[in-house]
Amino acid sequence: MSRKRMTTKEEPLTKKKVFLVGSPNVGKSAIFNALTGSYVTVSNYPGTTVDIAYGKMRIGRHHKIDLVDTPGMYSLRPITAEEEVGRKLIFKENPDCILHIVDAKNLERMLPLTFQLIETGLPIILVLNLYDELRARGMQLDIAHLEHDIGIPVVETVATRGIGIDNLSSRIVEVIEDRYRFSPMKVEYSEEIKEKIQSIAKHLKNDYAISKETIASLIIQNDKTIIDMVKAEGSLKKIETLCSNLDFNHMADLISQQRREASQSIMAERSAGDDNRTRGGWKDKLSALMVHHIWGVPILGLVLWFGLYKFVGEFGAGTLVDFIETNIFEAIINPKVDLIFHKIFGENLFFGLFAGEYGIFTLGIRYAIAIIFPIVATFFIAFSIIEDTGYLPRLAMLLDRAFKKIGLSGRAVIPLTLGFGCDTMATIVTRTLESTRERVIATFLLSLAIPCSAQLGVLLGLMAGNPKMLFIWALTVSGVFMLAGFLCKHLIKGEDSGFFMELPPLRLPSFMNVFTKTYTRMIWYFKEVIPIFIVASIVIWLGKLTGIFDFLVNVISYPVQWAGMPKAASPAFLYGFFRRDFGVAGLFDLAKQGVLSGNGLLIAAVVLTLFVPCVAQFAVTWKERGKAMAIGMAVFIFPFAFCVGFLLNVLLNALGVSL
Amino acid sequence: MRCALCSHEFNEDSAKRSCSACFKIGKCEMIKCPKCGYEIPPEPEWIKKVKRLFHRGRRDGDL
Repeated sequence: MSRKRMTTKEEPLTKKKVFLVGSPNVGKSAIFNALTGSYVTVSNYPGTTVDIAYGKMRIGRHHKIDLVDTPGMYSLRPITAEEEVGRKLIFKENPDCILHIVDAKNLERMLPLTFQLIETGLPIILVLNLYDELRARGMQLDIAHLEHDIGIPVVETVATRGIGIDNLSSRIVEVIEDRYRFSPMKVEYSEEIKEKIQSIAKHLKNDYAISKETIASLIIQNDKTIIDMVKAEGSLKKIETLCSNLDFNHMADLISQQRREASQSIMAERSAGDDNRTRGGWKDKLSALMVHHIWGVPILGLVLWFGLYKFVGEFGAGTLVDFIETNIFEAIINPKVDLIFHKIFGENLFFGLFAGEYGIFTLGIRYAIAIIFPIVATFFIAFSIIEDTGYLPRLAMLLDRAFKKIGLSGRAVIPLTLGFGCDTMATIVTRTLESTRERVIATFLLSLAIPCSAQLGVLLGLMAGNPKMLFIWALTVSGVFMLAGFLCKHLIKGEDSGFFMELPPLRLPSFMNVFTKTYTRMIWYFKEVIPIFIVASIVIWLGKLTGIFDFLVNVISYPVQWAGMPKAASPAFLYGFFRRDFGVAGLFDLAKQGVLSGNGLLIAAVVLTLFVPCVAQFAVTWKERGKAMAIGMAVFIFPFAFCVGFLLNVLLNALGVSL
Repeated sequence: MRCALCSHEFNEDSAKRSCSACFKIGKCEMIKCPKCGYEIPPEPEWIKKVKRLFHRGRRDGDL
């Protein structure tokens, strides 16, 4: 007798789509990483520059899930391009499940979006992430009853430590296998709103991936994108009649208010503990002061005074540079280098390549290590501390008002702040600005009036002993910046852009973070600078040999002297064409030798700050904005910088100011 | 990772994509926020090893 082998039929793999939705700073990426591991691809949403991350996860033997990490959003009524894309994804892709990720300790503020997602009719799981931070505040949520009240699965997680991820995976399976009995809570809107939503929903003919009630509620809030979507139906005329006397703003306010009330009533029942320990604490008060349009200014002044002027200018560019230059290079290295290469080359012209006035070691390496290194190190330490505290986004908010006057929004703080690190990279980052007009204005201002890190540090060092000089320099440069921006705003046509930025919590800087960031930036900077400085030394040596260097110095000496500076400052401006930091290092040398001081030093500092972009920045401007604009900017800025120097000299003389 | 400037959360893969148009691609060793372009210095390997030695390492997704 033969035995029949029993085989079990394998169930086919189901392929499902799960979207992660939530506002910024709630740990969406951490959840995404925890669920997907390393199987991630990133691509732009078609027609936009918004990145979407796609991942895959497998749960058990039967479920292959495509996971999509949508851009951060606060509401289904989008303000930013990222929110617009996030909403489009939800409305078009019809996900099998949405994970609404929230910050557990800010649940009350985030529940209104949960309600909006529930209203779409799609299956939602509420994920309370950062749950450890909620517990650390002495708070607690009654998860079981919360789930009962809202009528959807609720899962608490601490994604960065992997807590709750297994439970979340189980709930995802429960939902995609249709085993969860949803009884989703609907916000009880007023009769006025309910009646309007129902009457509009009745006239929507097409089938949509989301509920008609959601479409109708967005129409009565005058959502242009949704209205255009409905236009294609042919029922828009009827809907327009229903909306003809509607106060859209009133509708939107009422709907938001009623969602908030629903959220508050749930939280009153289901949360416990005292959050007053941290709410309204000193960090919140300080944060509010930092972005205040009056109090924020002296706070910024203090940051710049102690962080940049005292630490970078006096300590870095003063104490440290003096020590390294005098005790190491002048006392030991330079004499030894001169001796060694004199022995090798004698009075041969190759002696000048390595030693002497313009040698690789005596000029290039000395500039990089004795002058630039201590200044850049202190600058990066100060910058990393400021960055680690969370002050930078607050600075963006503070400057938003001022930036509106020059045709930019607070978002431009990003490339302009980066410009204080490196103008070349900052020019590339201008592509993140929303309009061409903003990109052009920001690129021009970066080329004109934003000194890069080493240049700024050396300039601060040059003027550290003379606060009056520093004040006039800062006033002149910022005045030129605002004036140029103001003129650009009125000469270049276009509309102003909005600005929206999430503020991370303020925190005390961590030594490890500051050390890591400073160390990495220093390595990056020196890998870039030392070869360039060596090449610059070689180019200058060749220029000296051929006479081209002296010819060019002679040519540039005319505008230099016309602007009120001594002829000896001319080489520094020639160096500045290649690298601005090399140029200011030249000024530093002259100041130390006593050749450049007083009014002449101030004018040199102003002119070199406003000087043409370095070769690298010029090349990037050419690539980003086009040949005509790059050349036009350089051709304008070169004489303009010297004109400002000239006018400043005239003004100082007229007012009898002697520094 | 979380951007220190715009607070955008992202993973390193999406950051590497945003470098594709830069002339310094792969050479600057910085991680660039794909949303705002802000450059974030990555933690060097030797520091990660020192932290692990002292049991003070941090998991992915946490800056």
